Amino acid sequence: MPEPFVIDNREDSLFQVHREVFTSPEIFERERELIFGPAWLYAGHESELPRRNDFRTRDVGGRPVIFTRDRHGEVRVLLNTCLHRGASLCRHPAGNAKIFTCFYHGWAYRNSGELVNVPSVEDYAGAPTDVYRTLPAPRVESYRGFYFVNFSGDAPDLRTWLGTSAYLLDLAVDQSEDGIEILPGTHSYTLQANWKLLVENSVDGYHAKSVHHTYFEMMMELGQTPPMLGDSDTNGVPPAGLGTEFGNGHATLMYPGNGLPLANEAVTHNLAALRSRAVERFGESYATAVFDLARNTIFFPNFVLIDLNFGMILRTITPLGPDRTQVSSWQLTPRGLDEESLRYRIDNALTFWGPAGLATPDDVEALEQAQRGFGARREMPWSDISKGMGKARPAANDELQMRAWWRQWNAVMTGEPLPREVEEFIPFDVPVQQPQGA
Amino acid sequence: MTTSTRTEIEDFLYLEASLLDEWRLEEWVELFTLDCTYEVPATDAPEADPALSWSLIHDRRTMLEQRVIRLKKPEAHAEFPHSRTSRIIGNVRILEQREDSLEVSASFLVSRMKAGKFDQYAGHYFYELVPGLKIRRKKAVLAHDCLDPQGKISFVL
Ligand code: FES
Ligand SMILES: [Fe+2]
Repeated sequence: MPEPFVIDNREDSLFQVHREVFTSPEIFERERELIFGPAWLYAGHESELPRRNDFRTRDVGGRPVIFTRDRHGEVRVLLNTCLHRGASLCRHPAGNAKIFTCFYHGWAYRNSGELVNVPSVEDYAGAPTDVYRTLPAPRVESYRGFYFVNFSGDAPDLRTWLGTSAYLLDLAVDQSEDGIEILPGTHSYTLQANWKLLVENSVDGYHAKSVHHTYFEMMMELGQTPPMLGDSDTNGVPPAGLGTEFGNGHATLMYPGNGLPLANEAVTHNLAALRSRAVERFGESYATAVFDLARNTIFFPNFVLIDLNFGMILRTITPLGPDRTQVSSWQLTPRGLDEESLRYRIDNALTFWGPAGLATPDDVEALEQAQRGFGARREMPWSDISKGMGKARPAANDELQMRAWWRQWNAVMTGEPLPREVEEFIPFDVPVQQPQGA
Repeated sequence: MTTSTRTEIEDFLYLEASLLDEWRLEEWVELFTLDCTYEVPATDAPEADPALSWSLIHDRRTMLEQRVIRLKKPEAHAEFPHSRTSRIIGNVRILEQREDSLEVSASFLVSRMKAGKFDQYAGHYFYELVPGLKIRRKKAVLAHDCLDPQGKISFVL
């Protein structure tokens, strides 16, 4: 393995990442253990389990899990593997069940994890239901409806782990007094590229012009004012936007929103109503942050929230191998939206996002081409992530967000702490607003 | 609508398939009515309404035209150079003949070669056709549970 993985040269404002970290099977294994072991990993949103006994099976950080609301209403994350010999307890993508019965030999579990039935139990000297009792459970904690799991015993609690970055979840949830919900339908796709390339891409403001040129051209053709930069600040965020970082590798870029592309009058009006209710609840400063700023956030290691007001995308990025990645992505909307605004949000977000949108396929292409380029890593070993380094306040299309993420990655992988680059930035008046707690 | 035979419908669907495989996309768009929709539901919600769910595609006529204009540009990076596709349409059935429209289902298998990668998309089509044989609604339901290994639907299904 190459050492170092990362060069963080503050003197010359040069930041480089060794390309071997995108290709090496050993590094991939080490990430599984060190990155996806102790981190808080996003598992799902409460709105995906509206009723008791609802469940969804998914993969979280390489572990098969059942994300379920048990018969008492508590949300749980069960490891989807049998205590007996490992078969999946549940093979349905989603449903409603109180009991999961393993199809291999019939061991049965309550949706709270207790092993309750073992066929031919009389053949055992000690009944497995007494010996094992329950599936080992990862820690599960939620913040404002977002559920995270932790597979290690000694991590800090979720709120501490999120730190200041939690406000980005608040800004999403507070778009409606009724909170938010996930729409039906998942964008589920794979890339032939390393997972960290999609992490970078998800908070990369630099590539938008070159990769998504055709999208912007289309918007202009449809009469949408080109995504022009405004000329004044919005809550301290300059027209060119800014990047900021938080503890634990979380980072975001934000910029004054470009309004509502292709919105009709009714939609504009409905959104203004949502906004004025937020002003009543939280005051102008916070409402402006909620509705007039756009932001792309990476929560270390692999959870992305892209909140463009007219569409909110959640994304988890799961490594399958050094050069293979699984993406799941959902659309979040404020609850209680009128149907017209809902249709608008969906259509507008769909034209850009997703594996059949008019932009995301080009991102996938870029990442797959980068992965291909890493074939020449011996001759050209370093990738550069220096843009905007040394600036007190890097712009949205600088690369601070990525450096912040990489420094945490490097700290976890090598034990070498690297100091932060900038102060945390909060785009609203903190004492004025107090979003409801966790 | 004057009664259509399955052979007529098949000929129409084969024509559509060949326009797509030959990348004659402008001609392809002309097969659609002005109030058309072109839909691909999410792989895990094939029954959901693409207008009200997080589907893969929900285009109306304008967006369909834009999709085609974009795909013809060399800066549509995901499709430059273009995929080469070959599609087989089969099991064509007329589900219902109405006064003013016709409901048709079919199976598809689209094979695609792009940059050394060969993959396939399988699924079912549902069409609503109107007199003069125009498409008012086309819905392509994928039989996949994840877009793997394709990763994207960058051309037209
Ligand atoms: S593996 Fe589950 S019952 Fe045997
Ligand atoms: Fe992009």
